[in-house]
Formats: sequence, structure tokens, C-alpha cells
Amino acid sequence: MRINPPDTYWKKDVTLFFSKRFALLIKFVYPLALIVPVAASDIPAQYAAAVIGIVAIMAGTFGAGESLTIDLNNGILARLALTPLSPRRIVFEVLAVNAVLDFLQLLPALLIVYALHPAPMIWLLAATFGVFATLVAANGIGIFIANFTTSPADVLLFATAILFPLIYLSGFFRNQNPTGILETLRGFVPFAYMNDALKAVFGLATETAPLEVFLYPSLICAVLVAAVLFTAPRLLTVRA
Amino acid sequence: MQPALQATDLTRVYKSSGRGVSGASFSVAPGEVFGLMGPNGSGKSTLLRVLSTAIEPDSGTLKIGGLDALSEKRKVRAGMGLMVDRPTHYDDLSGWANAYFFARAYGVAEDKADGVLAELFDYFDLAAYKDDRVKTYSYGMGKKLALVEALSHGPELLLLDEPSLGLDYTSQLAFQRKVRDLAGAGVAVIVASNQVDEVESLCDRVAFLSAGRIIAKGTPEELISSVKGVRRVVTTLRNPVEYAAVEAVLGVQQVVPEGRDLVVHCEERAGIVADVVAGIVRSGGDIVTLSVERPSLEDVFVKLTGEALKDAN
Repeated sequence: MRINPPDTYWKKDVTLFFSKRFALLIKFVYPLALIVPVAASDIPAQYAAAVIGIVAIMAGTFGAGESLTIDLNNGILARLALTPLSPRRIVFEVLAVNAVLDFLQLLPALLIVYALHPAPMIWLLAATFGVFATLVAANGIGIFIANFTTSPADVLLFATAILFPLIYLSGFFRNQNPTGILETLRGFVPFAYMNDALKAVFGLATETAPLEVFLYPSLICAVLVAAVLFTAPRLLTVRA
Repeated sequence: MQPALQATDLTRVYKSSGRGVSGASFSVAPGEVFGLMGPNGSGKSTLLRVLSTAIEPDSGTLKIGGLDALSEKRKVRAGMGLMVDRPTHYDDLSGWANAYFFARAYGVAEDKADGVLAELFDYFDLAAYKDDRVKTYSYGMGKKLALVEALSHGPELLLLDEPSLGLDYTSQLAFQRKVRDLAGAGVAVIVASNQVDEVESLCDRVAFLSAGRIIAKGTPEELISSVKGVRRVVTTLRNPVEYAAVEAVLGVQQVVPEGRDLVVHCEERAGIVADVVAGIVRSGGDIVTLSVERPSLEDVFVKLTGEALKDAN
């Protein structure tokens, strides 16, 4: 399979991703720089898990939201939308390729975490899947935000407004033992399952079973992806 | 013969500004080159956006290749070549990668894409730069790449917005030759341009837009013949001048500065050229060259609307 020259949107993004060497280096180094010192330190396990979660959420949301907003502003996405390609296919490729590329950036740091904190294989797989589901959800949020933003600064503002409540609900820092409505709402946030799996990797007990980490985020992400694809025609419309 | 494009009573008005296009009706036949001319704010860009299916009209119908362009957008887009006035590309990809990406997006088969693109890159003198990143391209090279992208899939309808603006002279000629070849092969071409010479030489028919409406259409010859009795005095000045004194000359309809040139549209009457020259001299203008030209489409537009096609600056 030939990636360059690209004949699909995802190949175009992969080509761009690997074409800028210095940017590529930074993309791989910054998760290591943020996560590895935390994993190697003796800070409480829930905070170590929270740091990894925050890095994943930010990478996903800002990556997709900002790059989409920039492409929308310079007109290239509007031009692409005038090809016979389906807007939903374009947006699906944006979402999928960004999630996979973000995951590749985080994977080295995750592997080092796993090396420093050996845990049962099922929890390692669950945590890895949880991070990927978080990236899918975060990229979905980023794409959704791009419907309403005209600049990267807007992305930051909108992302903050959406992510902070979700991070709170997920129990990264506060709300670690929710009850009532907060517990119910937490069940609908995919970040929460990643957080539980990472806590397990760092040696904390969790009520969430590994199977739940695979099952519920998959369902939530499927609904989220469908919702994002629903907005695709609007997202790619020329902004008059 | 079925028109390649049939627009009927197209209206699209932006709520925010109240501007747009109203009641635009025209058709373009296969093999015809149709020009759209109008100054900034005339509705030309809005009309092109509607024709390209980028935005939907508030009312009216649009058929392209016999298909309803409002309900069968993707089929219509597959047969349309499009070049916007300010082409954008993925700057960190090579010109070739950009063109290949768009060619494949338009459905050019993998085994044909390389051959088709090589021919077009050669034609527009881009072959030597095909592997360079687009961010190193000049504006003109970017326009040529956009033309390659518009043509690679063999469209039946071409929509070109200011296609030769920014191209060097050789490239302009190559572009015009390509448009004539395509029209000869049955491709319908819509060119939105205010390059008067280009539109006169290239287009079979022209429509003028002003304040969101099509105010006249016809062949360039028909339109120009409607302004008999108009002269166009073109002077090149050594220095820019305030030209109010020229505008005050009896019979002068419009004065348009174009770079170092001052273009004076005026009635044909005995002594008017001398009066215009006197007006320029009174304004402090130092005339380097002067020519009296036959009326052009620009004069037709000035006569119809009292405004110039191009901005004064």
C-alpha cells in the first residue's frame, strides 16, 4: 500500500504527520516528558493516572480541533468538500487518523509506564484500550468544537468549557467516589474507564472490571462518532 | 442540445449584509466559454459559490449536466472542475502529492492518475517543481497547480474564478490555449474574471453582474457594439495625480486609475482627447504615453452602471 502520494484523507494526514521531522520529534517527546517523570515518581497513584489521562484528552481534543479549524479557515477543507467525497467519509477519516496518530504518540510513554509498574496483562490491555477510546472521544469532541470555532483560541475556550466538567465527572482529581447522579453521569464519560484502568495499573483497587473498560467506552464512542458524523455536512460547508 | 448548466432565477442573499445575488438566470452549452464579469460586491463570488454547490440558493433551480445540482450534489461535483480565486493547498505536501490527492478524490483511477498529472504538470511548466513543497511555490505556481487539480479528472464543466490573475504571460497563454482546447472537446467553461482582454478573447458569451443582478448578457461583440460613440483614452503617467479635473471634462464618463495608467472613458466628440489631455496636465500629470482605444467590455459596463469593473486601487 502506497501512502505518499496520498489518495485518501487519512493517507494525506499520515504523510503530513511524518513529513515534518522537528514537529514529529516534539510530538513524540512531549508525552514522554510529561508522563515518564510522573510514572517514575512516588506521587499518589490516582494523580499519576490523572496526568496520563489529561495528556491523552488534551492531545486528542486540541489536535483535531485546531488542525480542523486551521484547515477550515484557509479554505482547503471547503475545497475538499466540493469533491465528490462524502463529507461523512472525510470527517470519519479525520477522526480515525487523528486518534490513531495521537495513540502512536502516547504509546512509547505508556510502554514505559507499564515497564515501571508491572500489572496483570488484562489491566495493561484495558488501560491501553481505555487510552485509545479516550483519544477517539477527545478527537470527536475536537471535531464537534470545530463546528463553532473560527480560530485556535476559540478551540481552547470551547474545549475548556466542555472538558473541565467531563474531567471532573471522570474523577481524575475530585469526585473519586461519586454517588447518585454524579455516579450515573460518570458512567457515560469514556475518560472515567481509562482513569480506572490506569489506577489499576498503578496498583490501586477499582470497582470497574476490565471487561467494562472494553465494553462501555466502545458503546459511548460509537454513539459519539455517529453524532460527529451527523454534523459532517455542516462542518464542511463554506462559512459565508 | 441539453445545456451543460441551466440556472433559473437563482437567488442567494446573505442575511448579515443583505448582499448576494438575485434572480440570476442563464445557461451554458457544452463547448461554450461563458464569462462572468462584475466589480467587487456585485454578487459574482456568491453566484460562483452557488454554481459550485458550495452554498445553496434561497430560491431558484440549478441543473448541471441534466442533474439537479441541489439534490444530487456529489454526482454533479464529480463532473465539475473548480478553481477558486485564492487557491489553497496542503502547504507541507509536494505539488504532486496535492494534485494526486485531488485527482483520486475526483475518482481518477490509480493506474491513470500518474499519466494524466504528468501531462498537466508538463503543460503548465510545473514538472520541475512537482516534488517541492507547495509552501515554496509562488502565487502563480499555486494558481497553476489549482488549474491542474481542476482539470485532472476530465470535467464536463469548468468553473474558474480569476484563473489567470497572477499568472505570467506565458502561463496565461498556455491557460487560454488549454481552455480553447477543452471547449473544442465539448467542455463547458465558466470564467469569472475582470481581465477584460482575456474575457473578450476567450469567452463566447458574457454576463455582467451589478448589485447582485445580471444586468446584461451577450457575445462580447454584441455588447461592445452597443456602446458605439464611446472612446477610451489610456495614458501612462510618470507620477500619480488627483484626477478630479479630468472627471470634470465635458463628456468624460469615468476615470479609472490602473497602476501608472489613467483610463478615461468618454463620449466621442470632436476635441475630447485634447480636453482630456489638458485636464491631466492641469492636474499635474506628466504623460509618458497616450493611446485612444476602441471600446471594450469595460466601457460597456461603465455605460450600463456608471461604475468601473475594477477597484480604483
